[in-house]
Amino acid sequence: MRTVISRWAAVSPFGIGAGSLAAGVRERRGGVLPVDRERWPAPVRRAGLVPGFDIREVLGAKGTRTMDRISALAAATTAELLHGTDGARLPGVGSDAGLVLGVNNGSAQSIADFTRDSLVKERPYFVNPAHFPNTVMNCAAAQCGIRYQLRGPNVTVAGGRSSALLALNYARRLVGAGRADAVLCGAAEEFSVTRAWLERHAATNPPVLGEGCAMLLVEPGDRAGRYGRAELAEVLAVRFGVFDTDPAQALADCVRGALDAADVAPADLWAVVAAHDPELAVAGPDLPPVRLSVTELVGDTQAAAGGIGLAALLALAADDPAAAGRVALVSTVDRDGTVGCVLLRLGA
Amino acid sequence: MRPARTPRRVVVTGLGVVASTGVGAVEFGAALRAGRSGAGPLTAFDTTGFDHSVACEVNGFDPAPWIERLDRAELGRAGEFAVAAARMAVADAGLGVEALRALPSLVAVGSTNAESRDFDRLVEQSVADGPAGMAAELARRVNAGRMSSLVARELALTDVEALTISTACAAGNYAIGYGFDALRAGDVEVALCGGADALCRKTFAGFYRIGAMAPERCQPFDRNRKGMITGEGAGVLVLESLASAQARGARIYAEVLGFGLNCDADHLVAPNADSVARCMRLALDCAGIKPDEVDLISAHGTATAANDLAEARAIRQVFGESPPRTVAIKSMLGHTLGAASALAAIGCALAIDGGFIPPTINHEETDPECAVDCVPNTGVAADLRVVQNNALAFGGNNAVLLLGRYQEGP
Repeated sequence: MRTVISRWAAVSPFGIGAGSLAAGVRERRGGVLPVDRERWPAPVRRAGLVPGFDIREVLGAKGTRTMDRISALAAATTAELLHGTDGARLPGVGSDAGLVLGVNNGSAQSIADFTRDSLVKERPYFVNPAHFPNTVMNCAAAQCGIRYQLRGPNVTVAGGRSSALLALNYARRLVGAGRADAVLCGAAEEFSVTRAWLERHAATNPPVLGEGCAMLLVEPGDRAGRYGRAELAEVLAVRFGVFDTDPAQALADCVRGALDAADVAPADLWAVVAAHDPELAVAGPDLPPVRLSVTELVGDTQAAAGGIGLAALLALAADDPAAAGRVALVSTVDRDGTVGCVLLRLGA
Repeated sequence: MRPARTPRRVVVTGLGVVASTGVGAVEFGAALRAGRSGAGPLTAFDTTGFDHSVACEVNGFDPAPWIERLDRAELGRAGEFAVAAARMAVADAGLGVEALRALPSLVAVGSTNAESRDFDRLVEQSVADGPAGMAAELARRVNAGRMSSLVARELALTDVEALTISTACAAGNYAIGYGFDALRAGDVEVALCGGADALCRKTFAGFYRIGAMAPERCQPFDRNRKGMITGEGAGVLVLESLASAQARGARIYAEVLGFGLNCDADHLVAPNADSVARCMRLALDCAGIKPDEVDLISAHGTATAANDLAEARAIRQVFGESPPRTVAIKSMLGHTLGAASALAAIGCALAIDGGFIPPTINHEETDPECAVDCVPNTGVAADLRVVQNNALAFGGNNAVLLLGRYQEGP
């Protein structure tokens, strides 16, 4: 079965919506800016924050009283993906649609705040029960399911910077197995003081952090056309690998596997988008005319990196008539041991 | 909803267990059969200030024999559980590690909280010394993706898709279902699927605060139930195609017959009975099985009123007024979160293979509103052909798995 991507949406350091990400990528404008240290008392000076992302301003008061930032980023992106410019829900993406979201730890900030209360309050159970759900990794996906009435498979996956590609493959298999006709898939990461401290301790050279969420609509090829959606890209192959000490070799093997599976020659690639862990400094294949590093653009968005990479690729392709019908690659590398890549044939 | 082509059959050939009631499939199976409780005083963290603190903790487990390649300093408690259970499952399957490495594989580990014990410690350090005082070694361990990548690295798998499935307390079933789909699609030749979680302060305090925690014991479907007991551990299953298992003469514990998953999209914590029933029907349809062919239900059965009533109602919707016997092994293991449905699936496979039904222990009087035969307190011998394993997660994320005795034929 041909699985295609027929729509994408993003909330990124360039702003809310696909248009702002597309403009930022087109201009190769940096999405990293100085951090307001009063709002964010984090050990960083600069970060790729979603500008003006106030949860209640973006999503309204309903259902957001205790919502945390990662859930809000995912919800705002889901809303963008599901609704056209006229505000109407996309045809053919009803309550039976699935949702697969890649995360890292969900919200490290929510987990830390909740645990801290148990340690410092008069009694160890004087925690705020309304915030308990935010400490569970599938909270964002569950919130999106409830908010947008998605009753199909609802899945949360984690694989560091490979999370979005793992989510895409999960979506592809759900469609292939007939478990859903249409699946929203992507990945989300929030910026937070706790995440910044964790990265500062964990990384040898703490990267500039970014945040955001990108989601794709995945469905069978013939279905997109039935609902009047263009095929933005066909998913040709998704491959993963795990490494101990040599991420470059693991990525090379992974990419070769994908190219072989799709019967594509390296020279045929139109673009390579890297969503790599900056800690490891692994370059992607140095072949095609168009190359892009997501991290250089918007900072290290960790779980969301691959999703923002996919969105950036689709934005670039939409701008360039030479991309039509060509093959492009998005690759991921993560210090926790995973590499991944997806090969897409871009729509005509 | 079934794919048009005839997919490969998928079987369970290896089991790995770290649980409060036993380590390894043999010990775990014997404890299930005997109805042994894993509950005891909680020692995982300082419980000062809680009026009660009973949990199903894994005590005295030494993971060292199961960790050959990785540096122990890279692993938190949940990671140790996952890696040890995976190694055990591979050994139990009689799969040589070299042979395993040559195959394209999937490693899917479900987890609600990943390295939650390390997170607890990091927050303690931050409270004591400020955030600059957090230990780098712990900060490097907490990313959830490691629950699966560590398993792959310990086994030196390279051609592997390693993912952690973070769908809370149904994650184990999700992982097994995902392995089933990846194998049926022909994408991989072997799948290590399961779940792992470690006891932690965060979860204990949260459940305690919302009044979901029982003071002493877990009594699913009992009119005197007082809530859940938290637990910890890991369960990993080796899945492979029937052809592969037969070619190497492997022991087949059970066949994966089908799987269903859906989302209530209703309430974050209160399960929706109609939606849970729909999930069971999805699994039955996937397997091509009629409700009256199911011999046993392994319930999610947390022993909270919200769960037990909704789950029993859903079972009745699908199976009618005389549903199959419905047992809850959380009465013995507590709620092991991401490991729960993996351990329950292993229990189902052992029950099918060993011809027994594990009991629901701590049972006094069945709640008439649930009215299921939960096989109270004493296990029974039974010839099981089809067993259903339910998982109802936080967020309305449901996953139902159907396992069956392997039988030759189409």
